[in-house]
Amino acid sequence: MSALQRAEGMLPSMSIDPFVADARGWIPVNARLATARRLIAMSVTTVVMLIAVVALAVGGLPELGFVALLVGLVVLAWLWWLIGRQVRAIGYSERTDDLIVVSGILFRRLVLVPYGRMQLVDVRRGPLERYFGLATVQLHTAAATTDATIPGLPPNEAGRLRDKLAALGEQRSAGL
Amino acid sequence: MTEPRHTHPVTPLVTMVRAVPVLIFGVFVTGGGEATNVLGGLGTGGVIVLILVGVGIYAYFSWTRLTFFYDDDGDLRINSGVFVRNERRVQLSRLQSVDVTQPILARLFGLAELRPEVAGASSEGTKLQYLALDDAQQLRAELLARASGLRREEGAAVATAPEQVLVQVPSPHLLASLVLQPTTIFLVLLIPTVVAVAGVSGVWELGLTGILLVFAPVTVVGGQFLRYFGFTVAQSPDGLRLRFGLTSHRSQTVPPGRVQAVRIERPLMWKPWGWVRVVVNVAGTMGGEEGEDRPSVILPVAPLPVARTLLQQVLPGVDPFSVDLTPAPAAARWRAPLQYKQLGVGATPVAFVTRRGWLVPKWDVVPHARTQSVRLTQGPWQRWLGLATVSVDSTPGPVSIAALHQDARTARILAQEQADRAGLARRQAGPGQPESYPVASPTVPPPGIDSDLP
Repeated sequence: MSALQRAEGMLPSMSIDPFVADARGWIPVNARLATARRLIAMSVTTVVMLIAVVALAVGGLPELGFVALLVGLVVLAWLWWLIGRQVRAIGYSERTDDLIVVSGILFRRLVLVPYGRMQLVDVRRGPLERYFGLATVQLHTAAATTDATIPGLPPNEAGRLRDKLAALGEQRSAGL
Repeated sequence: MTEPRHTHPVTPLVTMVRAVPVLIFGVFVTGGGEATNVLGGLGTGGVIVLILVGVGIYAYFSWTRLTFFYDDDGDLRINSGVFVRNERRVQLSRLQSVDVTQPILARLFGLAELRPEVAGASSEGTKLQYLALDDAQQLRAELLARASGLRREEGAAVATAPEQVLVQVPSPHLLASLVLQPTTIFLVLLIPTVVAVAGVSGVWELGLTGILLVFAPVTVVGGQFLRYFGFTVAQSPDGLRLRFGLTSHRSQTVPPGRVQAVRIERPLMWKPWGWVRVVVNVAGTMGGEEGEDRPSVILPVAPLPVARTLLQQVLPGVDPFSVDLTPAPAAARWRAPLQYKQLGVGATPVAFVTRRGWLVPKWDVVPHARTQSVRLTQGPWQRWLGLATVSVDSTPGPVSIAALHQDARTARILAQEQADRAGLARRQAGPGQPESYPVASPTVPPPGIDSDLP
């Protein structure tokens, strides 16, 4: 029996999309993450745009300055939309034996981390994250290439996840 | 706690001699002019001697302040540092490997450098520089014996564990394999290309560059030849022993069960001879800046059957060639036109196997019990073609495992199955037994395991 036949036997609903959620679905991250990321990306863009517009206007090219303003506004709108989508694309699922983290729209990724392989779990809160009441949970295995990061969790949820993952990791730990 | 010991008393002298070329170079680069003026016409030679004396004094105090001993828990302690004291404890239960290296200068004095490798630590602070070669080998045997749980009786010598030579790479093979590498051939082909371009364009300076380019392949091949010269692999109860190097002789030990993943490479030009190279990831040895000094190549070149025998030693029961690999779907041709015929993925009862590479086809193997995490990725172009990549994360090292451009419909199942197999393999191995993983019966019993260990 080929892997494909097995696939269809196990998950009949599964279409061509390998990133489809299982029955329980992905748990989304908090929408405040989008606000926080928009704040950073859009303020940087705004500053760059304003500098360009002022420089062009002062330099005697007000028409180009106007074009720069329009381009800047379009970029701002695009960023607003893109960050929203990106944040909505992040999700995770705590399953019996492993944790799954999904992210990305254009370049999509799905990371499966068996609980027994977790070496440590980090909870990080930067100044902006604290302001927005968010935290980032990062799982480390013995592999440096494991990139299982869940941003945008409310601190309680982050703490709960950390404790749960640490306990599960302890239970199923198998050294390296 | 045992009596603190010092490194070999000649060490400060070697450190001094080692500084000479650097100093001479430095003086020539700076012209030595200012220093000479400041010091009132000592002359360039005088400046060098003065600095050397300084280096010597510092080296002497470094030597007197460096001691090593076993503490009451049986772990190795290294105390060092002249101005800043550094007390390091090498937890022997975490010992990954012990290297004895002989840089050319140390070799002239009959000395060697001992490097106990511990997971996650840089080897810089645990280096014992220099010991008499015999002492270094004795100490290595002692450390490995202690690491494998044998407590040394005070005063009783630990014999170096007996070993059985598995492979010895003949120098002509090594040389031929290095010449037939894609890198070398590319560098050689570059010469006529540059010369031809010079001839056509009439830029003669370019032609001169072409002639200088002759040195590039010679340097590459020569460097690797000196490095891997006389490569010997031996099996002993304390692990796999690797010995190699002409100018700088190295001796590395990979304790049993530390190999996390294996890559078997077969550059296209080696195919007629049936040669392969074997590269491994070893737990706890971090890649990066010091990667050169870690065991990674465990066999620079050998016929495939020899490599398979060696593979049985480092990962018993794992045979990547015992399974038919699922090839990538035809659509992969549009994403990876050169290597798509090589792409494949499969799983044996104990390991996950992927194949890829164009000029250098590679088989990457990771036992299920060594799978750290599984990644599924898909870029826009892959999505358009209905493809996805499944990667298995291993500890840092040269081996990376990826089933490139597999059918998107099966990729998720593939990833999930691998995570499940990893979980199953771990449960069978049970907790606290990182060295073992389920093996029905090792195809080749490790030789010498029941021999006369103290």
